[in-house]
Amino acid sequence: MAEMILEVSGLTVRRRGTTAVENVSFSLAAESDTALVGPNGAGKSTLVQAILGLLPHQGGQVRLLGERLDGRGRLSASVREQIAYLPQRLALTGPIPLTVTEFVGLGWDGTRLRLPWRGEVRRRDAIHSALAKTGCEVFAEQRISDLSGGQLKRVLLAFCVVRPRRLLVLDEAQAGLDPQASEAFQQLLFSLRRSEGWTILQVSHDLDMVRRTCDGVLCLNRSLRCSGSPDHALSQAQLERLYGRDYLPYHHHHGAGG
Amino acid sequence: MAPVGDAVSIPELLALPFLQRAMLAGALTGALGGVLGSFAVLRQLSFFSDALGHSALLGISLGVALGLNPTLVLIPFAVLFALLVNHLVERSQLPTDALLNIIYSSSLAIAVVALSLLPGYQGGLQQLLFGDILGVDGLDLLLVTLLLLGVGTYLLVTRSSQILLSLDESLALSRGVAAQRQRLVFVVVLAVVVAVSIKAVGVLLISAFVVIPACAARLVSRHFGGYVLMAAALGSGGAVAGVLASAFLNLPSGPCVVIVQLLGFLFALVAGRGLQGRPA
Repeated sequence: MAEMILEVSGLTVRRRGTTAVENVSFSLAAESDTALVGPNGAGKSTLVQAILGLLPHQGGQVRLLGERLDGRGRLSASVREQIAYLPQRLALTGPIPLTVTEFVGLGWDGTRLRLPWRGEVRRRDAIHSALAKTGCEVFAEQRISDLSGGQLKRVLLAFCVVRPRRLLVLDEAQAGLDPQASEAFQQLLFSLRRSEGWTILQVSHDLDMVRRTCDGVLCLNRSLRCSGSPDHALSQAQLERLYGRDYLPYHHHHGAGG
Repeated sequence: MAPVGDAVSIPELLALPFLQRAMLAGALTGALGGVLGSFAVLRQLSFFSDALGHSALLGISLGVALGLNPTLVLIPFAVLFALLVNHLVERSQLPTDALLNIIYSSSLAIAVVALSLLPGYQGGLQQLLFGDILGVDGLDLLLVTLLLLGVGTYLLVTRSSQILLSLDESLALSRGVAAQRQRLVFVVVLAVVVAVSIKAVGVLLISAFVVIPACAARLVSRHFGGYVLMAAALGSGGAVAGVLASAFLNLPSGPCVVIVQLLGFLFALVAGRGLQGRPA
């Protein structure tokens, strides 16, 4: 039986007096790649943030790598370290005096106090390796605020890969990218997933990409409407049930690599 | 401000104990403002420091009304005020800048009216508004030194958490940063720094000490460590140069310091263009 990385049962989340996510249950096996899809306002971002303990939940339970998330969203440091999260975007306003190398270093440090005389060589090697794996070496000394959207997404992946992780949660990681950059990001994510053994949960609106790369799909509209393989969960009948009868499939145009 | 006469030679001027104390106070307060400001600016708390500065006058008027030493009242008042404002900002649906504007302008108005009703304090209003760096004493210097050491240590220890919080709160939370606790501690530290610096810098100019050196350093820095050090150096150097300029030119010291810092900022604005324009 496959190891379960994430187990969610009966999860209910309320925000600003309304129920944003209701009675959601599912689990993710190790090294699976699952997409969370649904219309705007369906509660996708709320669900992933509640799963990670970034938002409090009011009912149900979440187990990450076998450890139960407590009511205040706390996890042990050893489990937290094995989980990475990529937000939709970084709210970078104006020049940020932080190079790509320094930012990736923060992924290594976490909340630890960095002592220059302890483990510095290991840290530096891990950063170089993360930059190489994600193709960020060429702009390693650039400020993160000077990067393009596609480069910044790769840097976020380097931030994740700098330490061994088991679970990667992405909240619309391709938002704001043009089709070419989106395709390049997806290919990098796919290759890192295989080399690093990541389990992935990604919020996405790109159903073409989900069909091509994901093993499983969760359809959310406040509650879980359907789940299963992409062929089953993204059938026209299921999509009409999820998005409404007027749903028209929109096809993204991807490059030759797709 | 006690202007130094222009008949005094430069060596004589530099030998004056009160001017030496003022330069030291400027160097320490400027460094403190630069270090804390480098984080405050990234966390978009510039306006918050302004509101704290303006509210300090309310704390002073409260101290005067109660017959207590205003400086002693100011620190706890500033901390309580900062926590209250932080609470309001977190709960209110209004934009933060609008809310802070209401708070700082009203607290300033109430304080000025209160001080004008208190006999014998009208004359000190100018000093409170623009500071009296030439009037700092040994105790003030000790307090600022201890605060600089404390703030430096706190920011060094929590450096990673502070940077992550500046970039994205959800990213910070996902890495285990206790965001709410860190935010509260930071706001309290900012309040204490503002309260302690008010005597030297003044209510109206305190936010310039926090914001201008950090913004100047931000424009020309690539690395985070360099950014914080440069903000501290600009704050410190600008303050010393400003005090000296005020002594030589017989001008008010607080505004002179801010004008020197502004010149540094303008220089950084031009110099920073090259850095920004580089292709990624």
